[in-house]
Amino acid sequence: MALKTAEQYEESLRKMNLKVYLLGELVKNPVDNPIIRPSMNSVKMTYSLAQDPQHEDLMTAKSHLTGEKINRFCHLHQSTEDLVKKVKMQRLMGQKTGACFQRCVGMDAINAVDSVTFEMDKKLGTKYHERFIKFLKMIQKEDLVVDGAMTDPKGDRGLSPGKQEDPDLYTHVVEKRKEGIIVRGAKAHQTGAINSHWILVMPTIAMSKEDADYAVSFVAPADAEGISYIYGRQSCDTRKLEGCEIDVGNRQFGGHEALMVFDNLFVPWENVFMCGEYEFSGALVERFAGYHRQSYGGCKVGVGDVLIGAAALAADYNGASKAPHIKDKLIEMIHLNETLFSCGIACSAQGHKTDSGTYLIDLLLANVCKQNVTRFPYEIARLAEDISGGAMVTMASEKDLRHPEIGKLVEKYFKGIASVPTENRCRILRLVENITLGTAAVGYRTESMHGAGSPQAQRIMISRQGNLEQKKKLAKEIAGIKD
Amino acid sequence: MQIGICVKYCGGCNPIIDRAKLVQEIKKLLSPEFILSDGQTQEQWDIGILVCGCLTACANKPDFKNSAVKWILVAGHSVDHNNVPEKELASIVLAKLK
Repeated sequence: MALKTAEQYEESLRKMNLKVYLLGELVKNPVDNPIIRPSMNSVKMTYSLAQDPQHEDLMTAKSHLTGEKINRFCHLHQSTEDLVKKVKMQRLMGQKTGACFQRCVGMDAINAVDSVTFEMDKKLGTKYHERFIKFLKMIQKEDLVVDGAMTDPKGDRGLSPGKQEDPDLYTHVVEKRKEGIIVRGAKAHQTGAINSHWILVMPTIAMSKEDADYAVSFVAPADAEGISYIYGRQSCDTRKLEGCEIDVGNRQFGGHEALMVFDNLFVPWENVFMCGEYEFSGALVERFAGYHRQSYGGCKVGVGDVLIGAAALAADYNGASKAPHIKDKLIEMIHLNETLFSCGIACSAQGHKTDSGTYLIDLLLANVCKQNVTRFPYEIARLAEDISGGAMVTMASEKDLRHPEIGKLVEKYFKGIASVPTENRCRILRLVENITLGTAAVGYRTESMHGAGSPQAQRIMISRQGNLEQKKKLAKEIAGIKD
Repeated sequence: MQIGICVKYCGGCNPIIDRAKLVQEIKKLLSPEFILSDGQTQEQWDIGILVCGCLTACANKPDFKNSAVKWILVAGHSVDHNNVPEKELASIVLAKLK
């Protein structure tokens, strides 16, 4: 069975025993928890669309390892066409959920770990790639969700891992045994961790020789003994506990992040893909970040499509859609959104084959893509708020709308054009609120800023990859300068 | 004699036409000798209709072309690379089936 159904995915999560803390309590049943469930629904959509003939061309791929039809989220990209389809799939998923669907981070991790472990084995004679491929075959066969875990808490940013007052602020190996390693530390901002079957841990930065214990990569079942999760709060998250559907903006879908803590986690050697080979940690970070920066040229565009549609509907319902400045703002939103998509497609089309056979994106263009993502969604969100009007944040609650006495006042005074029920206007304004400053803003705004690396990280890569010396040569030639 | 038709879709990342609605319209217009399938089986079909949401038609690859004798390509507002109004897409596809 290489493709699970959506229902089988949900059932598989129920069989897991994750240690999750949310709002100060241990969650007994994460799948049905009203705050967590919308994020599970988003991941579930990656399974249901893979079964849909209308979307299978993007959502599935043929495994180069087994020849089986698999979910594209479990696939190693075998061509630039695969890289392009990845971005298109992510746009589709963003459109269908209006939220972060969380499964990209694992896909990006497996693709990065594949090529780096291959190159490590070739140079050092290690057996990491063989172990990784065995793991990946199982993931593909069982159609499992992998959480790619890179970002360490990092403590004092001015100090290297080994110089931190608390050594656990970077994930590290504390003991090497005959059977495996013992790991302590944590991974922050872990997207989709609670909805994952496995975690794939990678080092957070390029490590030096003195920090070799921090150059560690491994996989572990998400519910392994020694792993716990502290669920991240989101703006307006407790609206999901109120039993209303309008006020949450997106009643079905969402995303999540969590702090993942390793308390003397035991990892058997067969699940270890890097242990002290610090000279390869930089390549792993760079490739994972590159793939993930490409991803944002798809997922954020899909959510942007939903936000643009919501803003256009808000204008329709307000009776303002014919105003030239509204039309122009919608054009600007589309222009910005499609520019992001162009970057995602461009870095994919310009990708190349690595030694393992897996294709890597053009790193310069992927970093340009993400740099734009740190800016454009904010402008798209600003324009959506401009078009929607202040009611998106001052509107009465759903309970007031349904109230036997004041409901008619809400109905009367929050009405837009006569042909559209007040409830529909409320629904679309709440959706704009959800994406721009509610639970989904975590994914659409701040994750656009810091996810896959903060803006400065891209600027460093753009500086490295920008080929400035060649540009100087071109200028000298045109200007007639002979050194 | 019955004529088998398989329908394949592109992935649908940003369709400018309603692909499912178009296939429903084609289905409604078909005479009884045509049998429409989602093309999931491995058998060879008489005719294939590839329904792509935009002009890029990224699913138009040689991989599955052997699964039908003849293919009709719908790509956005076009049929076999000729631009047509959206409301005429179904009838033009139908004319090509005959």
